[in-house]
Amino acid sequence: MLLRISDLSARVAGKEILKGINLEVEAGEVHAIMGPNGSGKSTLAQVLAGREDYEVTGGSVLFEGRDLLALPAEERARAGLFLGFQYPVEIPGVNNVYLLKAALNAKRKVAGEPEVDAYEFLALIKQKMKLMQMSETFLTRGVNEGFSGGEKKRNEVLQMLVLEPKLAILDETDSGLDIDALKVVSTGVNSLRDSKRAVVLVTHYQRLLDYIVPDKVHVLSAGRILKSGDRSLALELERRGYDWVKESKVA
Amino acid sequence: MSSPQPFAVAAATTAALRSFEAQWLARQSDSPRREPWSARDPLSALRAEAMGRFLRLGLPTTRDESWRYTNLRRLAAESFIDAPRAPAGSVGAADALDSWRIGERLATIPMVNGFPVLPAHTNAGARIDAGSNYFEINSLRELSRVNPDLVARHLAPLSDADGARWGLLNTALFTDGLYLKISGNLAAPLVIVHTAAADRPGTIAYPRVIVDAAPGSNATIIEHHVQRGEWTPLCNSATQLALGQDAAIEHYRIFATGSACTHIDSLDVLQQRGSRCKQFTIALGGGLVRASLDAHLNEPGACLDSYSLLVGHEERQVDCVNIATHHAAHTRSQQTARSIASGTSRVIFNSKVVVEAGAVQAESQQSCRGLLLSDSAEIDSRPQLEIHADEVKCAHGATTGRLDPDMLFYMLSRGLDRGTAQSLLIYAFLADALTGMSLSAARSAIEDALIAQLPDSQVLRSFR
Repeated sequence: MLLRISDLSARVAGKEILKGINLEVEAGEVHAIMGPNGSGKSTLAQVLAGREDYEVTGGSVLFEGRDLLALPAEERARAGLFLGFQYPVEIPGVNNVYLLKAALNAKRKVAGEPEVDAYEFLALIKQKMKLMQMSETFLTRGVNEGFSGGEKKRNEVLQMLVLEPKLAILDETDSGLDIDALKVVSTGVNSLRDSKRAVVLVTHYQRLLDYIVPDKVHVLSAGRILKSGDRSLALELERRGYDWVKESKVA
Repeated sequence: MSSPQPFAVAAATTAALRSFEAQWLARQSDSPRREPWSARDPLSALRAEAMGRFLRLGLPTTRDESWRYTNLRRLAAESFIDAPRAPAGSVGAADALDSWRIGERLATIPMVNGFPVLPAHTNAGARIDAGSNYFEINSLRELSRVNPDLVARHLAPLSDADGARWGLLNTALFTDGLYLKISGNLAAPLVIVHTAAADRPGTIAYPRVIVDAAPGSNATIIEHHVQRGEWTPLCNSATQLALGQDAAIEHYRIFATGSACTHIDSLDVLQQRGSRCKQFTIALGGGLVRASLDAHLNEPGACLDSYSLLVGHEERQVDCVNIATHHAAHTRSQQTARSIASGTSRVIFNSKVVVEAGAVQAESQQSCRGLLLSDSAEIDSRPQLEIHADEVKCAHGATTGRLDPDMLFYMLSRGLDRGTAQSLLIYAFLADALTGMSLSAARSAIEDALIAQLPDSQVLRSFR
């Protein structure tokens, strides 16, 4: 089992947001977590990535059998967890490529590998940028500095492709994308799919799932997973709305 | 022999003032015939006037607007004698520079406790050719003797402002200094290495530099303040930059003395039509550094870009006061300050833009940002505007805070260790001020010295 979340609850600014999440993700799978605004989707993603000001109040998370919650954010990343941010922050003055190279080297160091060769790194990043249809001017810019919403999302996926995580959690990577950008992002994510890795897509809309077909779909509402199913659940949600899940649960 | 001026005695109320007065009297009686202050020429009159005003006004206190944050009470209770002209084992500016790797330069001019160390034949002034262009180096002592009018023109007018108080004292008491005349375009920088060195506590030095940039000339001038040995004098330095029409000067003042050194530096900039001044103030050393900038954009088209990089480290206090006064229409000023405070340090950045009546279409920008790296450090940023004209564009902003937690988390979530992430963010914070430097060798030397005072300096080096 790659990821096992058991009865996870968490608080943000004193408010209980996650109220007992249970989720298991096997290597090779793509999961989609859907749900209305404020249901706790992003909180779950941030808690898994190790955001310190989000307080875990109960439950456990095992990542390849290790206690994920005991690790600081940077060690989770080096262990192979990646969070694609919903709102990637701009960091003027810190170069995109510096950050990516430092990230890759941090991961390689833990794996006992030498630092990446500068020439090979540049070749790798250029190849991935081509896949993401990004202009090479991104190489010289600050992290996300002055990027449009869509460019920021592409940059997240680019980072994911270079770091090759075992588990990628993509928090609304589809929001704010036009249809062409959505296809590019989906191509990027699909290129990473293999039997050793898993992807958790956090999304509002079914639309993304036309391009990245999930193995499992979960509906998160008020801090709990109310319903799980296969891809057809997403299609039904689109037809009937989130209220349908909430009502059917109450009934 | 001229008799000592009668103004002094009654006003000298603190030990420091009494000792400054004693220095003045000693200069009067030393060699009244040979020295320039024999009271008849305009320079001597001006310096007597400066001394009189200084003693009447006294040392600034925290009741004075520009001294609110820096208390000189302890200093006022001390008394001072002149720092030695040639302290044991001094000069040798070369090693200081080598460690700075400033690289190619037209000339290095060492000054020890304010006394220029010039080759013997240049004492009366040297003209140094640099291709088709040239500059002249003169000892102020010599120039005061042969051309007191010229020196007096550069020292006037005197100001009673509390921010200019120490400048008055310097004007009254400097015994030597440097006069640089810039003509034409100088391709490489001129480097002045100010070495502070004393053989005992309780001394004071009065380094004085005048840069006279001829119309259309262009030069980069670096003033680098370092220390030699255990003791340093109280350093009361003053520099004037006079920019003729369409002249362009890039000026650096770098404070890199030890933690026991008190440094009070006054920089005056006078700008004529179309001149451009780019000024960098970099505080990397010293126990107390007080750096003032008083810029006057006197004629249309004059333009000032000032960058202040203020690093509070351990117990250091850095107090920076910038005033840009727009006297003429179509003048432009820009002030960028980046302050960092760690340990129990304190950094103060006061900047003021004054737009005089008639200075229509003036433009100014002030951007002051502070970064606190410890709970016990303090940063005070205060941009001010005083506008007496219509149709001006003046913008200002000040923020102080800690490292942005969202940025930090983003970098941690990519696997960077905390030290690296913090260092990169600190470095990024300073970048706005560093990128303005035209001289890449100076920039990298300054970056090296800056990085050495940041946490995780090893890591940061690998990112350059």
